[in-house]
Amino acid sequence: MKAANISATDISKSFSIPDENDLLHVLEDIHFEIREGEFVTILGPSGCGKSTFLNILAGFEEVDSGYAICCGEPITGPSPERAVVFQSPVLFPWLDVKDNIMYGLKQLGKKKDESETLSLEYLEAVGLEGFGNYYPVQLSGGMQQRVALARSLVLGPKVLLMDEPFAALDAQTRYNMQQLLLQLWENNQQTIVFITHDVEEALLLSDRVCIMSKRPGSIIEQIAVPFERPRPISLTGTSEFSMLKSHILSRLLT
Amino acid sequence: MKVRMPENYERADIAGFILPVSLFTIWYVATQDGGVPAYLLPSPRDLILTALDFVTGSESLTPYAGTFSVHSLASVKRVLSGFCLAAAVGLPLGFLTGRIALAKTSLDPTVHLIRIVPGIGWLPLAMVWFGVGEKTTLFLISLAAFFPIYVNAAQGASSVSPMLVRAGRMLGANDLAIFTTVIFPAAIPSTVAGLRLGLGLSWAYLVLGELTGVTHGLGAVMMDARMLGNVEMILVSMIFIGILGRISDMILVGSFRKLNLLKRGFEE
Ligand SMILES: Nc1ncnc2c1ncn2[C@@H]1O[C@H](COP(=O)(O)OP(=O)(O)OP(=O)(O)O)[C@@H](O)[C@H]1O
Ligand SMILES: [Mg+2]
Repeated sequence: MKAANISATDISKSFSIPDENDLLHVLEDIHFEIREGEFVTILGPSGCGKSTFLNILAGFEEVDSGYAICCGEPITGPSPERAVVFQSPVLFPWLDVKDNIMYGLKQLGKKKDESETLSLEYLEAVGLEGFGNYYPVQLSGGMQQRVALARSLVLGPKVLLMDEPFAALDAQTRYNMQQLLLQLWENNQQTIVFITHDVEEALLLSDRVCIMSKRPGSIIEQIAVPFERPRPISLTGTSEFSMLKSHILSRLLT
Repeated sequence: MKVRMPENYERADIAGFILPVSLFTIWYVATQDGGVPAYLLPSPRDLILTALDFVTGSESLTPYAGTFSVHSLASVKRVLSGFCLAAAVGLPLGFLTGRIALAKTSLDPTVHLIRIVPGIGWLPLAMVWFGVGEKTTLFLISLAAFFPIYVNAAQGASSVSPMLVRAGRMLGANDLAIFTTVIFPAAIPSTVAGLRLGLGLSWAYLVLGELTGVTHGLGAVMMDARMLGNVEMILVSMIFIGILGRISDMILVGSFRKLNLLKRGFEE
């Protein structure tokens, strides 16, 4: 199997500004590498281009200059090997929860009973057992986001691109989802790019934290997270943790 | 929302009865002896008898006794073929226009130009081209039904959220699968709305076409009855056209529901 590493070199991206004859520079000279099986979080102020960068890695947006490579090949379009969890759930409203989760498996040509068992398994893993027959509109925002998570995870992707996936969840559910993600990651060693605004979440989950500047976004600092795994919640009380956290916060505020 | 809806319906049901019941009462009183003469407005009782006679032929009240099935079958066939023709052309063209810029720029302006001419304005030309009767009726029906079907399918297909398309792609759907599993279902509510409008227009233009002269059909009965001064039969034909139109609409919506393409969760 090809190594699921990603490298992005010199990536710049602008969008045209609506009703103006000008460009908005969103990303400038992004350099980014991620090893196979590495868990990297990206932090940065709102509007700095995090989602845009993730969309480029996902293959949804084209770059203006530079190039992005995944698994040894240039990224030219989306692929189920690089599953995305969007900032908003984006479920198919005409499919119930179970069919939403089974959607990708169906596209891969998996047998129906096989994908049904698999989808039920993941439905339970995200804490939604019994909600298989609900339609997305009948779920809360956080529940929808968990369905979106299950829909991507069930495909067993080599790369997971996650855009603030747990932002809408309460502390308890968020903790459960983080544990689920870590557990799946330990078993399958996916390569994970994870955007968040929560510094503690970044430090508890990832191997490395990338800090982006204000727009036009570029990566201004990368910090290898020094803590041993598993990382208990009590870690957040240690002085080493709070020092790192305040350092990151100060970088985000400049 | 789910809890409140039935309540609303119930309230609407009671309120909905007030108008028809009072109209019926006025009608009933007005057609009593010494009221409006029967050759202008028949009494409810006469009308019901005529309708029953039209269907069963038991009373032989009118020359049309027992001919309901022949006439309605002829009309339904025309509506069905005209409507299907309109859908067969309108749906693919609509989806093409909705998804492909080239199709939109090359098709849309012309279609909308033609659409401006009211369907009834085609009648003289249609009679020149197709003569009176069958072909003209079919032409008018499919022409009139085409536009709402086309416009709504295009509208539905073009307004599919690009995020849904992204989600489908990211989950491994190819072009064909994106069309069948994302674009098509997302465009269904608007498309069905267009089909319903088209079906309604099909019935309207059926009557127009049949008035030009066909031997069988509810519109033909109306025209014929007018010449015989049989106002009951005119009204009975109108009522049956209304009923058949309503039934066909219910079948249309029902079959999309059956296909699981108009699921409750989605519509709300
Ligand atoms: N399709 C687009 N067309 C025009 N401008 C866009 C488009 N997508 C994003 N932008 C602009 O790019 C900038 C970065 O957006 P992006 O969504 O990447 O921010 P973000 O870092 O993810 O912010 P947040 O943390 O709030 O989600 C914003 O100013 C936005 O207006
Ligand atoms: Mg974002």
